[in-house]
Amino acid sequence: MDREAELKRLMLRGLDGDPVAWRALLTELRGALTPFFRRRLIGLEADVEDLVQDCLIAIHAKRATYDRSMAFTAWAYAIARYKLIDHFRRQGRRAHVPIEDAEALLAEHSVEDGVVRRDLAKVLSILPLRQRRLIEDVRIGGFSLAEAAARNGCTEGAAKVSVHRSMKALAASVSHEN
Amino acid sequence: MKTDDLIDALAAGLQPARPARLNPWLLAVAAASSVATVALLLGVRPTLVEALSSPTLVLKGLYTAALAGAALWLGLRAGRPGADTRGPLLAMLGVVGVAVLWGAIELVAAPADQRMAVWLGRTWTVCGPNILMVSAAAALPVFVAARSLAPTRPAFAGMALGVAAGAMGATAYGVLHCPESTAAFVATWYTLGIAAAGLIGAVAGRFALRW
Repeated sequence: MDREAELKRLMLRGLDGDPVAWRALLTELRGALTPFFRRRLIGLEADVEDLVQDCLIAIHAKRATYDRSMAFTAWAYAIARYKLIDHFRRQGRRAHVPIEDAEALLAEHSVEDGVVRRDLAKVLSILPLRQRRLIEDVRIGGFSLAEAAARNGCTEGAAKVSVHRSMKALAASVSHEN
Repeated sequence: MKTDDLIDALAAGLQPARPARLNPWLLAVAAASSVATVALLLGVRPTLVEALSSPTLVLKGLYTAALAGAALWLGLRAGRPGADTRGPLLAMLGVVGVAVLWGAIELVAAPADQRMAVWLGRTWTVCGPNILMVSAAAALPVFVAARSLAPTRPAFAGMALGVAAGAMGATAYGVLHCPESTAAFVATWYTLGIAAAGLIGAVAGRFALRW
């Protein structure tokens, strides 16, 4: 579930020279970068693949600038943001990409995620509808607790309790299946 | 090239990576260039050995050296994507703040009819330009020393490296050549010269630090 920890583990192994981990990391990042750039390059879809490749090359070439004590996502997002702004600048467009939005890199989903989504829907189907909507908003949709609570018409406290209970129920159901 | 092939190619030749830093050899070259520029173009003070034991000269050198250190720290942080630059930025501004405060206290304490002399010294018109000239020699190796970094705000990183080159040049100029010794003079004219180097660095960084 914690993608940051998983990506960071791969990054640290890559820094130590593990090509298998590095390949896995670049593949994961490709999956995150493609929808990230696609959404920000509406009407310029042809550039997305180039930009993803640029960004992967930059992440590879500048991997030594990663500080092991830092969050991996913050580092990768800063590079993706820089490459995107650089791309806009070269096209003579000025664009604003927020600096504090590192989670955005992992929050978006592409068509390729369809298979995962189907599995996810199956697991989530054990939850009552209301609980299910909340957990989808908070854990998948990228909404904050307060936003999700507003969308579903309950208080933030109630949403928090509900999400917590759902996670417990899901964890129990998954470990039960194994 | 397809992205899958690219990923395979990048992973295939992977080498272990040591943390990126400012190249210490090139920083040493920058310091040596500053010293050489002062010695060759401006001349070393004849009383250097005696002068080195005077507290004002040591304090002057400490101020600009501390500023160079803080600016290099800032340049390193600015060269790491996503890293927090507030610490070194505060350190840099703090060093300047202490010097300006010290100079202000000195001016207030000085007799009114001597204040202008304390503040302007005899060389205030040439101090800034001289520092700029000396730091120009340090700037190239300092910028090249940052080549392995990845500044996501090139102008900001260029400002930090420009201040670092300016402060290195000012240290060589202050210790080896400049006859001024009041804190008010150093806090004003040295700082202005170094700030000008920072501004030029910011403009240069926009182009030179792209990656």
